[in-house]
Amino acid sequence: MIHRGLGWVGLGALLTVLALATVPVAGQAPAPAKVNGTAAKAYTPPKTADGQPDLSGYWTNSTYIPLQRPKGVTKEFYTPEEMDKMEAAAKAREDEQTVPGTQSDVHYDDGQFGLARSQSTYARNLRTSLIVDPPDGRLPPQTEEAVRRNDAITKARTVGTPPPGFTANDIRGGNLDSVHGIKIDTRCLMMAAVPPPLVSPGYLANYQIIQSPGYVTILVERLHDARLIPLDSRPFPPSSVRSWVGVSRGHWEGNTLVVETRNSNGRVQAAAQGPMTGQTFSGATEDMKITERFTRVSADRIDYRFTVEDPKTWARPWTAEVPFERMDPQGPFFEHACYEGNYSIANMLTNARVLEKRAAEAVKKGSN
Amino acid sequence: MRTKLAAMVLGVGMLWVGVPLGAHHAFSAEFDVNKPLKLKGTLVKWEMINPHSWFHVDVKDADGKVTTWMIEGGSPNQLIRMGVTKNSVPVGTELLIDAYMAKDGTNKAVGRDFTFNDGRRLFLGGSAPGATPDADKK
Repeated sequence: MIHRGLGWVGLGALLTVLALATVPVAGQAPAPAKVNGTAAKAYTPPKTADGQPDLSGYWTNSTYIPLQRPKGVTKEFYTPEEMDKMEAAAKAREDEQTVPGTQSDVHYDDGQFGLARSQSTYARNLRTSLIVDPPDGRLPPQTEEAVRRNDAITKARTVGTPPPGFTANDIRGGNLDSVHGIKIDTRCLMMAAVPPPLVSPGYLANYQIIQSPGYVTILVERLHDARLIPLDSRPFPPSSVRSWVGVSRGHWEGNTLVVETRNSNGRVQAAAQGPMTGQTFSGATEDMKITERFTRVSADRIDYRFTVEDPKTWARPWTAEVPFERMDPQGPFFEHACYEGNYSIANMLTNARVLEKRAAEAVKKGSN
Repeated sequence: MRTKLAAMVLGVGMLWVGVPLGAHHAFSAEFDVNKPLKLKGTLVKWEMINPHSWFHVDVKDADGKVTTWMIEGGSPNQLIRMGVTKNSVPVGTELLIDAYMAKDGTNKAVGRDFTFNDGRRLFLGGSAPGATPDADKK
């Protein structure tokens, strides 16, 4: 059972203690062949029938490692022993119950539905952050233009002050006025890791890679969205052609699949709306360009690196790395027909109407 | 000194709150933390759908009056991967459910814990160590 929220405070604290207790190792420059702090053995991947290095199968990049290095942690890798402790602690928390009566407890038990990370394959990674560049493991600061732009978006979304005992969702003008105010992942329109980059969304961080002549397809379990990546060097469409997940083009560099994605419609990364709010690319623009690199380094592992560029948001590109582990069992994926089963939207909106009425009555009472 | 260390640890730990746990939506917008609920009833329908399962349960009160409740649970994907199907929890199963009620007062709730009459957790026999075949494999 996950300690939802509270548990991660404890996990963060544990990580911090572990990290502080160990002398940082200097000069560990990030290198593709050094995912876990040890050099990868030379590996020649098998080939598909049409001669591509074989990446096919079911993979996960489920991880406990955060995108950004926690403040106070100065080293690039944990030791395997530190990670053993951290994983045992995380599993213990996942097996526990949350504190009854707390807001974080208003949730079903993830463990009962097999959704705790310790219950299925996950990709062990000794890094202290997924970000490998900048070397401090943190996102580069946003440009002044981006700060101004995102502040304006946040301000436009700010509603009035709710009466005591109510939230901003409970008053007229709040996010639950209509379906359009609800975040796009809650609406099942788009979720983390459906558009690149593929960063673990917590559970179901699973992908099926399918290779056919001239194409690589990545089927993301969440939303069962398939990204078709042509390998024939065709040009990107003009900038007027845009989509939620952008447009991807791939090619092989030796055994590494390199995929570039542009032509996003900007809605996924829009501040306060995107599924990755506060994370990977929240606040970026439609000019964002992502370059992913997939290298199979063993029968069970793919090294996955990506670089994000958006000069309107960050003064410099940044790069992160999160390995993929071969899933056991190998599939299948149950169709994640999120939109069809999403009763939550109707429930949230009907709840909001009831609460809105109560909040209005509270205000009326207060002013009498 | 101890206070200072604790404060620092907490401060850094707070960063981790941002790690997504996969909650698809804000449960607090649907369900009321101040209205915990215990239900004992019979499963009449399991909607094994994404993004969240819904369990329809008939609950009989002291006077014998039956009320049907809709209880929200987790996504079915991983259950199916582990071999759990609707046959694993057939219609007619008696369930005990710890839940939080919907804010609008209708007969809906989020099922915090599902247990069988004999105390076993639903599906997996508990999330205790070893409850799942592939736990701890990596």
